[in-house]
Parts: sequence; structure tokens; C-alpha cells
Amino acid sequence: MAVSQRKRRFAAGSNAFLMSAVMIAVACVGYLLVDLHRIRYDLSADQGSVLLADTRTKLALLDRDGEPVVVTAFSGQRGKKETYFKDRALQDLIDELDFASQVVEVHFVDLDKDRLTAEKLGVTDYSTVVVQRGQARVDIKDRELFRRVGTGNDRRLDFLGEQAVARAFAQLTADNHRIVYTLVGHGELDPQKSDLGGLSEVAAVLQQDDYELKKLDFVRQTDFPVPRVPDDAAAVAVLRPRVPIPPLEEDLLLAYLAGGGSLLIAVDPDSPVPGILGRLGVAIPSGRVLDKMLVFPYPDRPVPRYKGHVITRDLAEDNLVTVVSSAAPVQPSVPPMEGIRSSIVLETSREGWIDRGGEVRSGQGVYEPDIDGAGPVSMAVALEVSSDSGLVSRGNARVLVSGDSEVFTNGLLAEGPGNASFVLNSFRWLVRDDDRISVVGKPAAVRRLAISVEDIEQIRWLALGMGPILVLLLGAGVWAARRGR
Amino acid sequence: MIEVIGLHKAYGPRLALRDVSFNVAKGEIAAFLGPNGAGKTTTMRILTGFLPADAGEVRVAGFDVFDDPHAVRQRVGYLPETPPLYPELSVGVYLDFCAELRGMARKDRSRRVGETMERVGLVGWERRLLGSLSKGYRQRVGLAQAILHDPPVLILDEPTSGLDPAQVAGIRDLVLSLAGDHTVILSTHILSEVEALCPRAVVIANGQIVADGAIEELRGRAAGGPWTYVEVQGIEGPQLGRLPGVKLVEPLGEVNGWAAWRVRAEGDPREGLAASAASGAFRVRALERRLPSLEEAFISIVGREGTAA
Amino acid sequence: MSTVFTIWKKEMRVYAVNPTAYAFLAVFLFLSGLFFFLGITLTGEASLRVLASNLAIVELFILPMLTMRHFAEERRQGTLEMLLTSPISPFALVLGKWLASVTLCGLMFLGTAILPAILAYYGDPDWGVVASTYLGLLLAAAAFCAAGLFSSSLLDDQLAAGLLGIVFLLPFWLVSRAEALVGDELAERVRPFGVLNHLDSFGRGIVDSADVYYFAALAFCFLFLTYRALESRRWR
Repeated sequence: MAVSQRKRRFAAGSNAFLMSAVMIAVACVGYLLVDLHRIRYDLSADQGSVLLADTRTKLALLDRDGEPVVVTAFSGQRGKKETYFKDRALQDLIDELDFASQVVEVHFVDLDKDRLTAEKLGVTDYSTVVVQRGQARVDIKDRELFRRVGTGNDRRLDFLGEQAVARAFAQLTADNHRIVYTLVGHGELDPQKSDLGGLSEVAAVLQQDDYELKKLDFVRQTDFPVPRVPDDAAAVAVLRPRVPIPPLEEDLLLAYLAGGGSLLIAVDPDSPVPGILGRLGVAIPSGRVLDKMLVFPYPDRPVPRYKGHVITRDLAEDNLVTVVSSAAPVQPSVPPMEGIRSSIVLETSREGWIDRGGEVRSGQGVYEPDIDGAGPVSMAVALEVSSDSGLVSRGNARVLVSGDSEVFTNGLLAEGPGNASFVLNSFRWLVRDDDRISVVGKPAAVRRLAISVEDIEQIRWLALGMGPILVLLLGAGVWAARRGR
Repeated sequence: MIEVIGLHKAYGPRLALRDVSFNVAKGEIAAFLGPNGAGKTTTMRILTGFLPADAGEVRVAGFDVFDDPHAVRQRVGYLPETPPLYPELSVGVYLDFCAELRGMARKDRSRRVGETMERVGLVGWERRLLGSLSKGYRQRVGLAQAILHDPPVLILDEPTSGLDPAQVAGIRDLVLSLAGDHTVILSTHILSEVEALCPRAVVIANGQIVADGAIEELRGRAAGGPWTYVEVQGIEGPQLGRLPGVKLVEPLGEVNGWAAWRVRAEGDPREGLAASAASGAFRVRALERRLPSLEEAFISIVGREGTAA
Repeated sequence: MSTVFTIWKKEMRVYAVNPTAYAFLAVFLFLSGLFFFLGITLTGEASLRVLASNLAIVELFILPMLTMRHFAEERRQGTLEMLLTSPISPFALVLGKWLASVTLCGLMFLGTAILPAILAYYGDPDWGVVASTYLGLLLAAAAFCAAGLFSSSLLDDQLAAGLLGIVFLLPFWLVSRAEALVGDELAERVRPFGVLNHLDSFGRGIVDSADVYYFAALAFCFLFLTYRALESRRWR
């Protein structure tokens, strides 16, 4: 019996040590497993902390290629007030990139200290990001990463680094240069104008994916003996012609479609309807689209619903609203024409209607069943045209018809949270870059405090003094209450 | 109720307990007696499962302390050497906490706490903070904590240490009132307490059991056994020693002009002494057969075995 | 599990009247106020990020000091003897004490609620980020308290237990800064063990399952070791 006790104690003791070791080992292995299948929730209001779907899509493409990508971010200039935010924003970004991708390797370099790396990369400016992939390299400058917005007290610093890096990724991935021709000569929207009705900012958004906007002028075309759509066209856009397009030019567009081309046709309620739409079985009835739900404070901006087309898939998922302005109804023929598959991209709610004048109440149109058309009304339709239609002889043609042209202009690009994505995704679909279609983000802003010098004194007292003094008073109270018990 | 078989315990190289075995029957009150550092506290801690033994077997209420500590703890009330009190808490809150620890339901709790406080004489002390209590009251609270859940086995380590005689008497009455349906084992080095409380004592010295039995039996076994107390006049020590049957006389001093002696003899010398006195050899005032006191028994047992070790 | 609540209740009662707890609370509030003040005056930003990264370090030093008394003091008072001879599982004891410490940490953070309130008055903080920051700090506090309990269960001396707790935690802080001490390769390898690496995302509003797991596992390991250390009395 005397022996058994010692044995039992030894057994219990070694068991305890073994159990402890096993527990710790299990905890570590558990971490490896959890690390492999991370679930991340972003609680921040603008969801600015995790990468945008667009960036993630691009990272997935990079991972699929497997070629290593090195992202080197350089620190900001020391002593400047904004440097803290700049460095932190860059660090957060590259941390997220590192986390989200297997092939991306990230470095944060103090430009003042690590001269070696700076010289090796030939970087001389603060807050620069260098993205390298093989031999190719893209430098992103401070002004592309940060943007100062507003004045006075409303001044803030926006961080555009993620979009810039995503753009760099796009530029570094295999040749992706696509040219989209916009037809001119009939009063169409101008891709070079930078006013609200221009396309300059849209062109910049498209530039992210290395898409280039070029003008297409059949009349003044000199490159070819006979006018035609150039061979390098990935898509042709007809954006709200003011005058009817001559039949000859429409034939050129049809010939382009016949070869499996892509066409974007955007009209407005009062602009002439290109005859080509009739060939495709799409009607643009007169009147403008209205809905019970309008974008405040405009009387003519219905809030469109997404109908599950690939262009709006991610937008619907992330619940991002796209804003259209004064749209014409776009109706695909029912039943559909043979060889043409049409799907609705944007549509009103059930309560929407086609307004054809009549009564106007407090600045807004009213639904009058006798003259107006009943909803839901579609505002944008995507067509896939196969050879069965007799229109296409090679491959499939894609056509996107939009009842609103403004949605493709600078003016509406930043109007709704989903607008930029909608435009970019539309072009991605047209140029058949389907696997890139995702959401394009808005910049992450720094939230500033508005404190005056007098406030500082008050804050100092509130932050440093009040808590401790209250606690000490509470402690003294408890002590006094218990004295003598 | 308590079975201890062959207990060994060493603290590093120092052997604290050596082959300690004893039994305490149900309803018995047993004293664990020994000088400071003899191993009383160690034994009690092993009984409650707080410390492990190096060897040996301990069964309390039929459960092995090592294999089934939970069952043992449910059936034992334990007063450690220093009463386990939180100075920050009040008496009422503390006892309620102890009751909760023992898994009593809320309504039983307040009833039991009230009863127990009455029993140990703490009525009206609910709101006093433990940190401000005197030694005697700390001891009472400690005792209350041990008997709170009415355990069949009570293990009390020095329940009366540091108390004044009146308080000791109170604790003694309390322990006596527990006898019968509770098995009590208490340790002490105060012998009068043992005499008053326990029919049974286990004497431990230097980590070994040196005696175990009824108090009377222990005293009888102590050095020299029974002796005779005499008070005489007109006779000197040597003469007294030469009387028939007398083996040894020791002077115990003078009482009002009478000389007191301790007389040891074979058998009972009283009759012979009385006869001698009657013959006029000397005058005798007192003639009394006595057993050794527990102190003497204790010192002789512990001293003898202690030096042997 | 009701015994866990019993222990928790008792610990909260002891904390409520413990002058040391009030002193630590006051120091903690002062330091958080200080880092908050420095943070907003240096950056002018309506966020708790500067505060959070510094507060984690403050926690690392203060919490072992707050939990050091748990077992060391019980042992000194002799109450540990009573607890361990009561019919409760040592794990319930550990859990109750840990939950009480975490509750106290929660109250400490509640005391710092004035700071986001200041942000809200003078600016427009991102409440999601504020919430995730506090969640991260509380998780770190829970893990640190567990380490403090473990060291307290090992040593008899309170102060030594507190210092040992800090010693336990220091490596988890230092590996977050390992780049400065060892090579890049090794630093990369030990990074997952670093406390600050796991707190970083919380400060940006991200709640990552791996970060939550890290703190939970850290707390669990230390609690398990504490339980084992208490149990060891039975066979040591």
C-alpha cells in the first residue's frame, strides 16, 4: 500500500505535465487551422479596412498566375503633420495585401533610414509605392495615393492607395490593353471633356483596368480606304447622339457586330433612337422613367433595382446604389428575337412607370394609367447575339443598351456609391473581361477632430483628471462607509 | 469513519510523518495530541486532501482521499490552523459564501447561517468585518464555517488556540454537543482541553504515533504508574522510605507545617502507612492514592519516545 | 457552474473594497487619458488608435499586478486551504477568479468611456472601429489576467507573482517587435505569437477569427496551467 501511493502520485503528476503539454500543442495547431480559414468582419463604418472586392479579384488573378509580386511602400516625410496618417494608411494597406495574397510580398521602408533599398529602387520621394512583378514595375506617387479634399475646417485627406495599387496590379498583369471607341460626329458625349457632361473621369476609371477611350469618327477616318471600325476595337460606344446616325454608319456598326463585336448604346428620353436598336429587337418608347422612390432631391432620378446580370451582381451583393438620371425606358421585344438573349440590367420597382406628361404634383410626375405605361420599367438591357439571329457571322456579339446616358458621364460618376463600379463593370462586360467584374471602391477618409486651443485645456482635464479623481473619490467613499465595522 | 494506514510524509529530507496509523469510529471524539511540530497539522491536511501523503492510505467516511477527493470534501468540515477568513468581508457575507461553496440552496443558506451563528455565539455580529475581529471571534467564525453544512466528519486544527478560558469552555460545550452524530478529530497541545472533551487521545511526537487510547489508560501507563500522596509530621524521608513495602519517596514540600511526600511502593502502601502511623511512629493527615496527571503522562510518553527517536 | 458564480461574486466583493484595486483603476484611467490626449493632440484624428496600441502595453504591466493577489493572498490568509478542501472543482475556482478579473477590466474600460465621448463631441468617430478596439483590448486583458493568475498560483509572494506574470507576458510583446532584435526570417516566423500583431486589426475595425482565437487560446492555456498548478498540490 505504501508503494501504491507513490505510484499513483507519479502517475497523476506525469499525467498533469503531459496534459498541459498536449493542451498547449493543441492550441498552437488550432491556431494554424484557424489561420488557414480566417473569417474577418469589418466593423468600420465605411468598410474601409478590408480590401475592396475589386482588389481581391485582382489579387486572386495574381495568385492564379503565381508569379511573385513585390510591393514596397516608402515612409512619409518626418515632421509633417500628415505623415502619421500617410504611413499608417500605407502600412494598413500593405498588411491587408500581405494577408490576402500568397504571391504578394510587402515591405514598408523608412526612406530616411533604409537608404540602400531606396537607392536600389531609385526612389527619392516620400510616400511612394513601388509595385514590381518580374521585370515590370509601376511607381505610384504621393499625389496618386493621397488626395486633399475641401478647405478650412472641412479639409481632409483621402487615401486612394488601394485603388492605385489595384491599378498597378492591373497594369502588371499580362497585356490587358483594350481600346474602346466612342462614336463622334453626331453630338455624342465627348470622352475628352472634363466638365460634368464629359467623360474624362470615366476614362480615368477605365484606365485602372488599362482600358483606353478613343474617338471614332467615320467621316474623318483616314487610316482605311473604306471607313470601318478598327480591328483593335474591344468595344464601340454610341453615347447619346444628338442627331440620327446616317444609315451608312449604322451599317458599319452592324458589320462590326457581325464579326462578334461589342456595342454600348446609351440614349436619353429626347434623343433620336439609333435604327440599329430595331434590328436588335429593342424598343425605346417615348416618355421618361419615374418611380415612387426617387433620389432626393431630384424629381427625375429613379432608384434602379438590379436584376441579377453579371454587371450588377457584386453591386447587388454589397447593396450599393447606382444613380441614373432622367432615363428612357428600354424594352426588349417579347417574345425575344431568335438568337438574341436579352437580360435586364436596371429596372424600376413595381411602382415605377413611364411618364408621358400630364399632371405634375409638387414638381414630380404622377402616374396616370390612361397615358402612362405601367411598371416595372427596364432602363438598361444587355443582349447577347448569336449567329442564329442572322446578324452575327462570327462568335457572339454583346450589346448594352442604356436608357440613360448621364450615368456614363463625370457628373454621375461619384453620385451613387455604386456608379463607378457600374460603369467600369459595364465596360468590363463589353470587352469580355468578365472575371474582373467587381466593385470599385470609394476613397478612405481620415476622420478629423475639430479642436480649438481652448478646447485642449478642457479635454486635458476631462481625459486625464476626471476618471482618476472620480475613482479615488469612490474608493474613499467605500473606505469611509466601512470604517468602524 | 476515519481510517489512516501507514502514512508517510516527507518535506524534502525531513520526515514529517512516519508510519502513522489510527482509526476513529463513527460518533467518536478523538484528540490529536502532540508538541508543536509533531505532525498534527500535516496529518490533518492529508486527511482533508489538501496535502498528498508520500505513502499510506487515508479513508474518510469510506472514501479514499486520493482517489475520490470530492466525495471526501463533501463530508468533511475543516477548521485549519489559522481560521480561513477574508478580512474584507463581513461575517454574514463570509458565512453565506462558505454555505454557497458547499452547494447549499439559497433559502437553506440563510437559515443554516443563522442557526450556526447562534450555535457559535455570533448573533448580532453579521455586519462586522472579519478583519476587525478579535482572535476569539475569528476562531468562532472559523468553527462556524466548518460546521455550517453539518458534515458527518469534523477536522479541527487547534480549535482553542489563543482563546481565553471562557471562550475555551464555550468551544468545548459546542464540540461536546456535536458528539454522537458527528465524528470529530481535533488537534491540540493543551491537555486540560483533552481531559474535558475527549474520551480518546492519539499522541503524536516526531511524526510518529506514540500512544493511542482512552485518557485513563494513557495516564495509567505513564511513568511509574499510580502513587500515594501523604502528609505527615514527625518522620523524616529516610525513615519513611524504610517502612515496609515502600520503594521510593520524593518530597513535595510543606503544607501548613505538614510535610508532603510522594510515595511509590509495590502494590498499595496506604494500609501499611496507616498502620505505622497508628502505632505512633508519626502523625498522618492525608493519605491518597493518585494517578499521574495527563501532563505527566504526556511528558513521560513524549519524552521517552521522543528521545528514543 | 454555480460555484463559478459563487467565486466570482466573492471576488467582486473583495475587489469592491480593495484599496489596491482603486489605486490601479485610477492609474489605469490616468494613463489611458494621457495616451488618449497625446494621441489626439499629435494626430488630430477622431480615433482611439494611438490609445489602443499603448494601452495594450499598459495592460501588460498592470494586469499581472492586479491579479497577483489572487492565489498568493489566499495562501497567506489560509483561505486557499478552505477553498481547496471545499467540494468545488479547482477549475471552477480558477474560472471564477478569472471572470472576476475580466469583469474588473470591463469596468476599467467602462471608466474610459469618457474618451470616445470626447471624440464624439469634437468629431465624428467611427463607432464600429471604437467597438472593435475595445473588443480587442478586452480580449488582450482576458489573456493577460489568465497569465497573472497562473503566476499567482505558482508563487507565495504577491509582488514576486506580479513580476513573474509580467515576465510571462513580455515575450508575447517582444516578438511583436522581433524585427529589431533578430533576423527578418525568424521575426516572420515568430510574428504569429505577438500580442500587438493580433491587436492591430482590432484597431482598424476588423474582427478576425484568428485574432480572437489567439487571445482565447492564450487565456485558455494559462487558465489550464493555473488549474494544473493548483491540482499539483494533490500529488506534488
